[in-house]
Amino acid sequence: MLEISNLHVKLEYEPREILKGLSLNVKAGEVHAIMGPNGSGKSTLSYVLSGRDGYEVTEGSVTFKGEDLLAMDPNERAAKGVFLAFQYPIEIPGVATMQFLKVALNAQRKARGEKELSIPDFMRFVKERAAKLNISQEMLKRPVNVGFSGGEKKRAEILQMAVLEPSLCVLDETDSGLDIDALKVVADGVNALRSPDRAMIVITHYQRLLDYIVPDFVHVLSAGKIVKSGGKELALELEANGYAEFVEKVA
Amino acid sequence: MALTKTPAEEAFGVALPHRRMEEWRWTDLRARIDKPYPTQEIAVTDKDVARLMATSPFAKLTTHRIVFVNGSLDQARSNFAGLTFELGVPSSSEVDDPVIHLNSAIEPSGLTLRFDATMDVPVEIIHIATSGVVRAMALRNRIEVGEGASATIIETFVGEGDYVLNAVTEIQVGAGARLDRVKVELESHDATHLSYIDCTLAKDAKLNEFTLTSGSALNRQNGNYLFAGENANALIAGAYLLNGKQHADTRLVMDHKVPHCTSREMFKCVMDENARGIFQGKVIVRKHAQKTDGKQSSHALLLSESAEFDAKPELEIYADDVVCGHGATAGDINHDHLFYLQSRGIPAAEAKSLLIGAFVGEAFDGIVNDAMREAMVDFAENWLTARKAK
Repeated sequence: MLEISNLHVKLEYEPREILKGLSLNVKAGEVHAIMGPNGSGKSTLSYVLSGRDGYEVTEGSVTFKGEDLLAMDPNERAAKGVFLAFQYPIEIPGVATMQFLKVALNAQRKARGEKELSIPDFMRFVKERAAKLNISQEMLKRPVNVGFSGGEKKRAEILQMAVLEPSLCVLDETDSGLDIDALKVVADGVNALRSPDRAMIVITHYQRLLDYIVPDFVHVLSAGKIVKSGGKELALELEANGYAEFVEKVA
Repeated sequence: MALTKTPAEEAFGVALPHRRMEEWRWTDLRARIDKPYPTQEIAVTDKDVARLMATSPFAKLTTHRIVFVNGSLDQARSNFAGLTFELGVPSSSEVDDPVIHLNSAIEPSGLTLRFDATMDVPVEIIHIATSGVVRAMALRNRIEVGEGASATIIETFVGEGDYVLNAVTEIQVGAGARLDRVKVELESHDATHLSYIDCTLAKDAKLNEFTLTSGSALNRQNGNYLFAGENANALIAGAYLLNGKQHADTRLVMDHKVPHCTSREMFKCVMDENARGIFQGKVIVRKHAQKTDGKQSSHALLLSESAEFDAKPELEIYADDVVCGHGATAGDINHDHLFYLQSRGIPAAEAKSLLIGAFVGEAFDGIVNDAMREAMVDFAENWLTARKAK
């Protein structure tokens, strides 16, 4: 589904390279965890995949379902099935969550040549998914993420994911700022979306999240490269030994 | 030193304000009104009036309507049912203000509307300028909301062609009374719109006001709000939706004369292309007006490199136990917001419209009447759709 090959990325206005030849293959149905110390390039990877401004790809390629992902605008990527759950979801004053979901879903359906959902169908569709994530009707009426607690914001991200039904989910530090109960709700929401047609990249600093979202593969990202890959047991190893080994290796 | 009279000043018979007057530094009327606008009557057709009347966002929202066409009251097209009124320009004393002096010089027409009980349905006062020769027109109306009464007034300005419209509205909100006022300025893109609100609030009076500025080439609205009775409360919200070379300048004075009054001003201004917006808000707290709570904010969204916004907050406080504040911001569309929407599949142009609509929409939130608020949301949406289509 996703093939990242020798990806080199720098900030647009700085010479410093952040990703230095990252390669990764993700197939449908797989869950890949990317772990790494702060500053290793984890968030940069998520932004480059979703198409945020400010990054420059100097070398390498990213192919998604056989197409050049890097040539697409962020909204085109979303319509093709890429979804980024933000580490820090953005507050959008004045745009009600329900309205936002409707505009987003219909924009994606339109881009794919599908019919827009009728309002009653859409409402039912969202309410079912919101209920599973303990998201109240009142929250859906509030502006996107405005005044939401940390946990509410993360649940709202997962709700968006559940409504938009992407084929590739990139979760950027979805565990940050969550207590254990909130983490379970979020993880349950993510696990409910696991399917043979859908792939996930779970970016995290800590192993804790991977107790709840059990990955098929774990990769260690350090200084802009994947320096080690393994199964889920690699996460436990990292938890026990920390990242020191990998940081030194590069230095 | 007296300035040489311009042809426009000769024709009006009064001096026009210019940029060396502090309050007019951004809006040099003397330079901008560069030709004479005589007062004269023109022939109108029913078709033109009906077509323009239908351009009011509130056309279908109320049947209580007072219609002015080309500066004159049109009794035949008005519906006075259930209204208490007195024809003729109100005979209150003249405030010393250039807009009012010009209004007098143009010889306005007008009426006084009185509300002595609760009127549930909105009353629209609409001015229609039909296309025709270059000319000046003026209105002077008075709205009185009696003790304990309440009313909703809409003032709508629509038109075609090149003209000057000068509208003065005197407002008296009585003790414990409430007035909801919405003004929409959708004049012709070639027009100059000048207005003055002279408002007095009695004890426990409540004024809830919203103004939309989107039509004329040049708009200057002045307002003076006198807090004459304790516990009076005014919320003044406004929105600009400007493009091309449009220029809009609002100057409001909140004059707190007595204690325990609250004033809120909140303007959300959207400027595209070469448009220029200005907000000048002055809060005066007189010596005995303790416990005054006066806040103003103006926020600008600049959609092009050449759009401009100027804000001038002024606080003049003579009492020592007050809460007053002001805030002004100006910027372009927030890139993080835009990326977030795009990352969910919303194309950039649509995402921008959504964000601009949300920005300006905050100014509509205070409109209590749902249908009126919806009409403003629809207007903004249409404005944004037209922008996107360019």
